[in-house]
Amino acid sequence: MKILKFQSLALITLGVFFAAFTNVNKLISNKTHIRFYSSTPAENIEANNYKSTATLDIASGDVVFSVPMQSFEFEKALMQKHFNQPDFLDSKQYPTAKFVGKVSDMNLLNLEKEGLHKVKVVGQLTIKGKTNPINVMGDIVVEGKEIRIKSIFEITLADYGIVFVKGKPSTNVAKSVEITVSANFNK
Amino acid sequence: MKTSKKLKWILISIGVIMAGGISVALYFFYMPHRNVHAAKADLQVTAASLIEEFLADQVGSNQKYLSEDGDSKILNITGHIQSIEIDFNRNYVVILGEMELQASVSCTFDSHTNKQVESLQIGQNITVKGVLRSGARYDEDLGLFLPVIIEKTQLFNVNDK
Repeated sequence: MKILKFQSLALITLGVFFAAFTNVNKLISNKTHIRFYSSTPAENIEANNYKSTATLDIASGDVVFSVPMQSFEFEKALMQKHFNQPDFLDSKQYPTAKFVGKVSDMNLLNLEKEGLHKVKVVGQLTIKGKTNPINVMGDIVVEGKEIRIKSIFEITLADYGIVFVKGKPSTNVAKSVEITVSANFNK
Repeated sequence: MKTSKKLKWILISIGVIMAGGISVALYFFYMPHRNVHAAKADLQVTAASLIEEFLADQVGSNQKYLSEDGDSKILNITGHIQSIEIDFNRNYVVILGEMELQASVSCTFDSHTNKQVESLQIGQNITVKGVLRSGARYDEDLGLFLPVIIEKTQLFNVNDK
């Protein structure tokens, strides 16, 4: 009898433990796309990355992206090599970039409603070990069981310790680059 | 006569140097990407040992597997198929792992090799070849274990037929 009581107590404790630590509101996505676009009179450079992991908490509005830097693919092999090297992204020392943020006023948003919701996202972006606050506008599209998020914004490379003073990169890589972030979640 | 002969040689030399310079510049400009499919694997590992290595020593494993120019180690990886997914770029992703491990190895195929995935089934033990892009680790902000990321994957062998 005593053993039975202990067992049920243990089961209840275990149940409470799991309920507390399993957040049912947190959606996970591996269907992601990050595009890097730099435009100068000399040339336009584009790279694409489909290997980020993202989470979206539909209750709190918390958004997190982890981006493996070596998964950025360029049309030209030499550009991809430059991008990874220590004076640019130093992807061997800093293999991932990260965004941690929050959708503003998530509680006012009705994600049961189909269609486009315009939102503001505030957060911290870490690239090459340097963290800066960023403020971006984004779209949340609800379609059936799918929630798609997308945002286009600019970042200044110097904010992340990426500065070219001479040579080809100083004329051919823009000081400010456009980043497009997309992720598809299933409700 | 003598000076014009000299001039001729100078002009030829300049021409040769210029042609050489342009060829080198063009070579670098159009340098092809490393062909992962044709290259030989640098190392043979199991999915479990690769995951455990990264979880035990993140910094040391990054040093071992990642290259500064992004052309990181090409691996032959053996493991059980946990799931098969399709990514944003419409490529197949085969997740290799073992029941007792929290992280997995995510192997993304490409336009040349996607067809190989169609015959695969969950639970099979396979060996694939691909390039490592980043290692497994626990991310506190995501609250998740991130997988080892392998791209340009091709099927090397199905071990249980």
